[in-house]
Amino acid sequence: MPDGYEQFVADRLDRLLRYATAMTCDRYLAQDIVQEVLLRAQRRWHRIGALDAPYLYVKRMVTNEYLSWWRRRAAREVTSSHSALAEVSPPVDDPAVRHAERDAMRARIAVLPRKQRAALVLRYYEDSTDAEIAAILGCGEGTVRSHISRALKTLRANQNTNTSSAAEVLR
Amino acid sequence: MTDHEMLIREAIAAEAARAVHPGAVLAELEKKRARRRPMALIAAGGLTAVAAAVALVVPLTMGRGTPPSPDAAAQSSAAVSPTAQNVLVFGLDEDGYTDSIALTRFGGDGSISAVSIPRDTWIETPGGTVKANSVYRGAGSGVEGSKALVTAVEAMAGVRIDHYAAVDMTAFTAVNDAVGGVEVCLRNATEDDYSGADFPAGRQVLTSDQALAFVRQRHGLPQGDLDRVVRQQAFLHAAAAKALAAPDTLPALVGVVREHVRVDEGWDVLALARGLRPDAPVRTATIPVGEQTSTERGTGLSVDPAAVRAFVGEFLVDAPAGGAPGGDGCVA
Repeated sequence: MPDGYEQFVADRLDRLLRYATAMTCDRYLAQDIVQEVLLRAQRRWHRIGALDAPYLYVKRMVTNEYLSWWRRRAAREVTSSHSALAEVSPPVDDPAVRHAERDAMRARIAVLPRKQRAALVLRYYEDSTDAEIAAILGCGEGTVRSHISRALKTLRANQNTNTSSAAEVLR
Repeated sequence: MTDHEMLIREAIAAEAARAVHPGAVLAELEKKRARRRPMALIAAGGLTAVAAAVALVVPLTMGRGTPPSPDAAAQSSAAVSPTAQNVLVFGLDEDGYTDSIALTRFGGDGSISAVSIPRDTWIETPGGTVKANSVYRGAGSGVEGSKALVTAVEAMAGVRIDHYAAVDMTAFTAVNDAVGGVEVCLRNATEDDYSGADFPAGRQVLTSDQALAFVRQRHGLPQGDLDRVVRQQAFLHAAAAKALAAPDTLPALVGVVREHVRVDEGWDVLALARGLRPDAPVRTATIPVGEQTSTERGTGLSVDPAAVRAFVGEFLVDAPAGGAPGGDGCVA
């Protein structure tokens, strides 16, 4: 009998890690969370595997693990992990300005309230619908839209005030 | 999509691209998974139940091959009360250690009593004092190892042992697979990390992995080991029922028995099986053990031979037969 769990891990591990990294802005925290969640999922795979969308369920587990992890320990890492953010960015072919703008945006996203960031990542990285985001975050669709619009507003406002600092990066 | 949103999308993708390599996670998962998988630890009652199931299933399966004859029926009813037998049932892990040892009495009245000997018990052998779980391996495994273990337990417990059955611990999984999943029923949902158990309430068909967890779970049950024994009995009853309802599974079951159970050559398992009742009560206990003591062969449990003999002599008497399990067949 093929092991559904093994297959799931083979198919989805990479994507889960990327999702968790985008959400946490901390790749090692993301690694810990995904590991922990997959171990837990394995023990109840007979139930999860029987669901219509096991990936959605596991993604929800990952999200909750992060949100509750964050609740247990006070906000830490954001600043430290992002102080080093610029220099570890992978080299890209983008024009330098675009690259700098993007890195500045990463830093701004990283300091968003966690639920807003989770909603943002689900919409712009996972391409989830509002209904899916609502299911994952355990809130209503109205709340999802409010999380995202607030996040967009904050990011736009900061972008304007930070234009000069983005330019400074280029000097 | 606005340019602002495009930038956000790119920024998030860049963040996601920083994820660690999946290989690192896979290696870590594999390590943790191996560590979580507990050593083979099946209690005396479970082993005895396996032996009983083997004894039940073997004749049932063999009987399927030949048309039932009136003679056989007459014979079996005549043989309903064989004399009591003491059987040493032991479970072998993959390295040849006997991590479960049960001195079992199949009573003339169909009852089963089993005394468990903890694996770390110090036991006397011709080669010196060793832990109970290494006697079999130390004597060269196989028939020689089995005989050595029988002799050592006879000397310690002060009883004569008529037969032995060596059970490979993966037998439960194999039985489950052979019948295409055993259906069990739980009164309550239960979860336990030690055994890997995670079951909803109600009727359910076990997968391969779940079969072992189902018969292994002891933590998180109201009566611990006692509930575990009941689980094992329920599992085996359900397995036998399913096998009988689907005769095409019988060849696979015979294969399981051949592969996972070894009995001594002179043992007429069929005769024993005819005397067993399908709802035979299983009484279990553990020998009295003393302090932990350490030698150059490790740390083990010391025993007072006189106390062990007195206990075993008292416990291994034919017990009054108990009733069948509860009406709906559901267990804790």
